[in-house]
Amino acid sequence: MSPSEKTRRLSAMRPGASGRVLRVMRENPDRADRLMALGVTPGATVTVLQRFPGVVFLCDHTELAVEPAVARAIVVELE
Amino acid sequence: MSCAQAAVREPAADPLLTLRARPRRIALVGNANVGKSVLFGRLTGQYAVVSNYPGTTVALTTGRVVLGGEVCELVDTPGVTALEGALTEDELVARRILNAGQTDVVIQVSDARNLRRALMLTSQLAAIGRPMVLVLNMIDEARVHGIVIDAAGLAARLGIPVVETVATEGRGIAGLRDAIGRAAVPAFDAPHRGDHAHLAHDLAVQYRCYRRRSAARIQERLGRLVREPLTGLPILAIVLYGMYLAVGVFGAQTLVGLIEGGLFEQFINPGAIALVNRAVPWAVARDFLVGEYGLITMGLTYAIAIVLPVVATFFLVFGFLEDSGYIPRLAIFSDRIFRTMGLNGKAVLPMVLGLGCDTMATMTTRILGTPKERLIAVLLLALGIPCSAQLATILGILGGVSFFALVTLFGVVMLQMFLVGFLAARTIPGERSEFIMELPPLRLPQLGNIVRKTLLRVRWYLGEAVPLFLFGTALLFTLSRLGLLTVLTEAMEPVVAGLLGLPKDAATVFVMGFLRRDYGAAGLFQMSKAGELDGVQAVVALTVMTLFVPCVANFLMMVKEQGLKAAMGILGAVTVIALGTGVVLNAILRGLHVTF
Repeated sequence: MSPSEKTRRLSAMRPGASGRVLRVMRENPDRADRLMALGVTPGATVTVLQRFPGVVFLCDHTELAVEPAVARAIVVELE
Repeated sequence: MSCAQAAVREPAADPLLTLRARPRRIALVGNANVGKSVLFGRLTGQYAVVSNYPGTTVALTTGRVVLGGEVCELVDTPGVTALEGALTEDELVARRILNAGQTDVVIQVSDARNLRRALMLTSQLAAIGRPMVLVLNMIDEARVHGIVIDAAGLAARLGIPVVETVATEGRGIAGLRDAIGRAAVPAFDAPHRGDHAHLAHDLAVQYRCYRRRSAARIQERLGRLVREPLTGLPILAIVLYGMYLAVGVFGAQTLVGLIEGGLFEQFINPGAIALVNRAVPWAVARDFLVGEYGLITMGLTYAIAIVLPVVATFFLVFGFLEDSGYIPRLAIFSDRIFRTMGLNGKAVLPMVLGLGCDTMATMTTRILGTPKERLIAVLLLALGIPCSAQLATILGILGGVSFFALVTLFGVVMLQMFLVGFLAARTIPGERSEFIMELPPLRLPQLGNIVRKTLLRVRWYLGEAVPLFLFGTALLFTLSRLGLLTVLTEAMEPVVAGLLGLPKDAATVFVMGFLRRDYGAAGLFQMSKAGELDGVQAVVALTVMTLFVPCVANFLMMVKEQGLKAAMGILGAVTVIALGTGVVLNAILRGLHVTF
């Protein structure tokens, strides 16, 4: 598989899909820092639980709810 | 381990020979919702309010703890996600206590399930260079999830004691007390260029392993049910209806009926009147105690017989919801709406807390990300969120009118909040922060904690509200004696009777409402019971009262959080909006010939 098929924005992942965080886009540094503090760092395992009305995902054992713009900034390598 | 760091390690304190200028200060620090306040309670024997959501502790709580014969000061701090970078106000509070050089020992409390995040904070704390202990709390829940942590290995690597605890059950507390004496300055190499995440990741991989998970399936299934709109919204409706049954029907009708109708009207008030009439020779003093505006017949009756039963039932139900972890999940549903109001889903926490007490909730706005969000949240709390005491009287009065009346009131109040929020979002300068929120695990609440919390809050209500009720009654008595009440009633008549369409005596109630909304609403309760209000009047009067600033204490808290200028601005705006809404609502209801 080419890398583009294996990597996805978290916002584009289906509920139930999981993978590892590849990177967090830094166009908004505050957001990236906050995500990092909550454990969303490269290498962390994420599983998408729900997409509507907000994105909810599991990162390790932390359940996080975020708005779509935030989910778009998380790049995940699918398993 | 670097030698330079090892040399700075403090020797264990000798408990019998130490003389200090001030007691040793120990700070509990950690991520939000990991159980710092439970540990605080375990170590000091004092109760700090504990709930299952981040942001329960927003200020510092201090207590005493005896360790090895020495009295130390223990400080409970608000939860933090980080100590570096962009920090919220409550994170700054925690940060300050560490930086001021006032803390001798740091106890980092962590949720054992989130070792990686905990270690990220450990790495930041290490940079501050105080002796510390790492607590892996909720180790039982971690085991349920199949997580095993090599605590001894981790301790050796970090150079600090690592203790496993289950704070809610008191397990591991003795080990922690012992470990505080052995607290040491962390002795590991600082991460390259402050990359705490990388270090934490490596450490977590090295010292944590997964076994097969044993249970936690029910938790997951329940989590999904409350989170997904298809099942979550009906569940929300059921929860709200359950609260209405408990607070509105059982509390506001059954209990109030028993205590006010039974105890106070049958025994206490007649007894007090008889006693006072016999024992007090002065007519003025008799009136002051048991007259129309008597301390006992009005002040005490309102506070104890009408408001207290509902407040107590509310806090009981509310405590259950708080500890279950349900409330933060409402943020998922409300995020979009709050975003149009310049906030984000996280604002649901102060708003729902406001139903308990707006004053406390005003303080909780500190968990919000930006000054703009905090200002809008404080404004909306003051404007639209009825506190438990007021909810009490609303349900008590309108429960007797009709369900439609109740829907009208809440509909109008919510619409007003939305409009004001919408406009505030566009006029107040600044940014909103993005919605990123951690959801605490769903748990079966412990009855003991709910009861303790309820008792603490009831006691607080008694200490806070009853004096104000009595003061308000004394004020009304004085005004009425001096004939000023008539003057005031006359002066307000064009607004009260003309524009709002209320009996002109309702002016008295609004004077009371300025002190505390619930006190004013309790006055309305009496008027409605005496048949002085029809359905429309009850709805209009209660809507205006609900939109008023909650109470003097809330106003003072607004001053404290936002400054005098902003607080005066909010007070003015809210009063104008409240009266304006009442006038329009009255005109519409009368125009449409609604009768309820």
